[in-house]
Amino acid sequence: MNIKISALQFTRDVKSGNISVEDFIAKTMEQIHNVDDNLHAFLSLNEKAVDQAREIDKKIKSGGKIGQCFGMPISIKDNICIKDTKTTCASKMLENFIAPYDATVITKLKQQDAIFVGKVNLDEFAMGISTEFSAYGPSKNPWNTDYVPGGSSGGSAVSVSAFECVASLGSDTGGSVRNPASFCSTVGYKPTYGLISRYGLISYANSIEQIGPLTRTVEDTAFMLNLIAGVDPNDNTTVDNNNEDYLKDIDSGIEGKKIGIIKEMIGEGIDPSVLSATKNAISKLEGLGAICEEISLDMVKYSVAAYYAITTTEAGSNLARYDNLRYGYDFPVDGYEFNSYIEKARKKLGPEVIRRMILGGFVPSAGYAGKYFLKALKVKSKLTRQINDAFKKFDLLISPTVPILPFKIGEKINDPAALFLIDINTVTANLTGKPAISIPYAISNGLPIGIQLIANSMNDKLLLQAAHALEKTVKLPEVPI
Amino acid sequence: MVSREEIEHVAKLMRIEIDDPTIYERIDKMMGYFDILDSAGVESEEISIREISIANLREDKYIPFDEKLIEKLNHYKGTYVRAPKMV
Amino acid sequence: MTKIGLEIHSQLTKLESKLFCSCKANYRDFEPNTNICPVCMGLPGSLPRLNQKAVEKATMIAMALNCSTPEKIAFFRKNYFYPDLPKNFQITQLNIYGDTSVGGTGIILVGEKKIHITRIQLEEDPGRLIYEGSSEKNQITLVDYNRAGTPLVEIVTEPDFENPKEVREFLNILSDLLENLGVSDPSLEGAMRADANVSIEGGNKVEIKNIGSFHDLEKAVHFEITRQQSLHSRDISIIQETRHWDDKRKITISSRSKEEDLDYRYFLEGDIPWVRIGKEVKEKLKSEMPESISSKKQRYISKYDIPAQVAYVLSSDKFYSDLFEDAHTKENAKEVANIITTDLMGLVDTREKRASSKLKPFHLKEIADSIQSGKIARTSAKNALYEIVKTGKELSDVISELDLGNVSDESELSQIIESVISEEPQAVEQAKSNPQTINYLVGKVMQKTKGKADPNITLNLLKKKIQ
Repeated sequence: MNIKISALQFTRDVKSGNISVEDFIAKTMEQIHNVDDNLHAFLSLNEKAVDQAREIDKKIKSGGKIGQCFGMPISIKDNICIKDTKTTCASKMLENFIAPYDATVITKLKQQDAIFVGKVNLDEFAMGISTEFSAYGPSKNPWNTDYVPGGSSGGSAVSVSAFECVASLGSDTGGSVRNPASFCSTVGYKPTYGLISRYGLISYANSIEQIGPLTRTVEDTAFMLNLIAGVDPNDNTTVDNNNEDYLKDIDSGIEGKKIGIIKEMIGEGIDPSVLSATKNAISKLEGLGAICEEISLDMVKYSVAAYYAITTTEAGSNLARYDNLRYGYDFPVDGYEFNSYIEKARKKLGPEVIRRMILGGFVPSAGYAGKYFLKALKVKSKLTRQINDAFKKFDLLISPTVPILPFKIGEKINDPAALFLIDINTVTANLTGKPAISIPYAISNGLPIGIQLIANSMNDKLLLQAAHALEKTVKLPEVPI
Repeated sequence: MVSREEIEHVAKLMRIEIDDPTIYERIDKMMGYFDILDSAGVESEEISIREISIANLREDKYIPFDEKLIEKLNHYKGTYVRAPKMV
Repeated sequence: MTKIGLEIHSQLTKLESKLFCSCKANYRDFEPNTNICPVCMGLPGSLPRLNQKAVEKATMIAMALNCSTPEKIAFFRKNYFYPDLPKNFQITQLNIYGDTSVGGTGIILVGEKKIHITRIQLEEDPGRLIYEGSSEKNQITLVDYNRAGTPLVEIVTEPDFENPKEVREFLNILSDLLENLGVSDPSLEGAMRADANVSIEGGNKVEIKNIGSFHDLEKAVHFEITRQQSLHSRDISIIQETRHWDDKRKITISSRSKEEDLDYRYFLEGDIPWVRIGKEVKEKLKSEMPESISSKKQRYISKYDIPAQVAYVLSSDKFYSDLFEDAHTKENAKEVANIITTDLMGLVDTREKRASSKLKPFHLKEIADSIQSGKIARTSAKNALYEIVKTGKELSDVISELDLGNVSDESELSQIIESVISEEPQAVEQAKSNPQTINYLVGKVMQKTKGKADPNITLNLLKKKIQ
């Protein structure tokens, strides 16, 4: 049985009776068994997956109504709550936290008969870009296991890339879905802010983050979006997408579309192979009838500083609830006074989280708020104005997803400044709320390169059409696992 | 630049106990990096906001949560949550 | 020159659900931690869902206090650590990006004096801490989050008060106003709390927190003024600080200065967009607002000729004014008002008594009409009222069961009058010369009939008989 198929292909095969769900799930669990000791994508597995698959087969046989997922195996980033399962955010602080409710995206996928094969690894509390900051050990890039898979949704990208599942849900705060998608050669999508409910996503920077799918094809992402997008009464920040069908007309092509090449994202520091892949993609798009032209968004220069000022502030507040009183890990309060107990309990937070907590205390504090936090908000505003102006002239914007190739595990972990700048191409879409996608485009010396497309707010459909068109222009080698 | 005392003061504010000595330099470096915002020329910019109409807010209705939630959280002496001693 | 300002917290107890989730707004009567959900417990991944009616009611309060109301409101986070705060931040309102709290500056009159409102904000109540254990050594802190997330309206005043009495008057007016608006029941325990700030002779402002009741507030303010005056007279400067009211010792004590906790790192709450209220909604709210207390009072005085003091009592208590509105007619209005504010008051002066009272407006109407038609005397009406409050029976049943009907039979009355005349010869002589003193004899007849003699008939018969 071939488990290296797309989600849509899976549904077609099950519908036609070519494969049974149980067989596919069993084979998938076997694959996880074979590769995950090395790759470490998963933090926990669903032991009942095969049983659940069997139930779906029964339902199909008896002619019952089946959800659109038909039992497809999906992995979920471990910062998204699944009821009665451990949800750790890859932190020791939430070692024993069992979520008592389902995230909205989980409820929706359950209704569509998806099977969650397990929870996957991330940088602790989604803070990082390489999954090296997980308290449970890093995940490895299936293309070369000496290299990072990207982050923070590293486990998501690895599990999709290594055929341990057919699709995954991650979260993207500053590139955390697109970056690992690019590093592992999968599709990674960050929707328009508000398109997908964040209810049940454990907050890191709530004003800019979104849940996003990672899949093998662009069509699969459109398929997932159809199932999980839409206004949610449990999340006041969701927007109404009028039940848009993202799969319909996905092959419309991009004839006549104007695409802006963001100058500041192909500038200094870009790896030559990344630059040449980008140029190649641009000429392919032109071959398909698009008109490509350079554009400058000079606020991009300040976007990383603004991003970290805003996210550390929000994280400092969002993580304040972890005082271990109501849930967390085993550490009794006897003999402790309130403030010292919290300090002791929070020692379980990892070093990167701690650094960001402290920064998150400085930036909005009375002494520095005007200097850093307010300025960061204003940069966010100006950047949004600039990109809105750009979209008056262009339909889409393009850039490489990450300016560099995947790097070795341990190579950059002690150089936080270098780590920050890797975000420079991705944070703009988060700060401005625009939808963005990373498509696998090239392999250089065995390491993947992804191309990023950005569209205007609520133009997710157009974005997927363009991504689909570009995706079809390349045939990439198979991952060597 | 931020001093060691300032960093310790903020850490206390955030209920963080510092035991990594490299943290002082790292925080200082990072705060220094934020200074780039001063040259962004955004003083006159208005902050952008998201809006929702009062009509789209939640209806005022009592709907009890359908589970005994406290049983799934830390509890003590029946259904209380225990906190450390308050000074 | 004493200056006192107030920060009042009023729970919107009349709402069905909490401010950001669908748990019950009135948390009383629940076992600890059984009125909770992932949102009000701040569980990882939970998000706030703003209560539409809370925004409406808070806006109504702002309008009733003559405050400006913005087109759009926003919410902020106030970050600090405390066990009663499940998220270790409180979602509240501020005005740091323009006017974004639910009410801006306003005015309310206390007698002739203008009290300025600084702002009104909508925010969530934290949970409650319970301390167990006798000595400080073995003390255990328990937390009950049933109250966490209850909608609160915070009303901040300028330091316009000059003495504790004004403060007390204001609080009474405010609490009546809130009850009249139908947004809160201030008599519920903990439904209305207040902190105060005090300064004298242009000196530093001292904040007083942890005041349990309005009674304590008056005491606390009084103590603090005295404390400051004593320091001032000895040329000792007053430190700007927060003190808390120690109810046992009846003094204010300096709170340990927790400098590090004073930085709340305020920023916009990203999970709640700015809420556009808009002109139309505001106009609808204004039209739906219940009649104000002062307007009712004026109406009672001018339309029904009810005495000012009676009108004041009637209008400022919603329980009474609701009864009055349903019970009165043009003819009996004055009498109904009188019954409520004299005889009924003592029978329903607590929450419990009001809750168990079986009196309905139609009962009152009947009683008033019966007094006016002479069917029963006023003293009998009082007894009937007592019985009806207890049992809810019809007036006619009560009158017959307790034999309260007026004695109007002339021959019966004549006999009684004859015996009074024979018993009180001196009074009779006095009445012949000084007609005013006949009331003494009327009183004696009343005594003999246990108040049931028809007063008009009695008076006429007496007058005839002593001539």
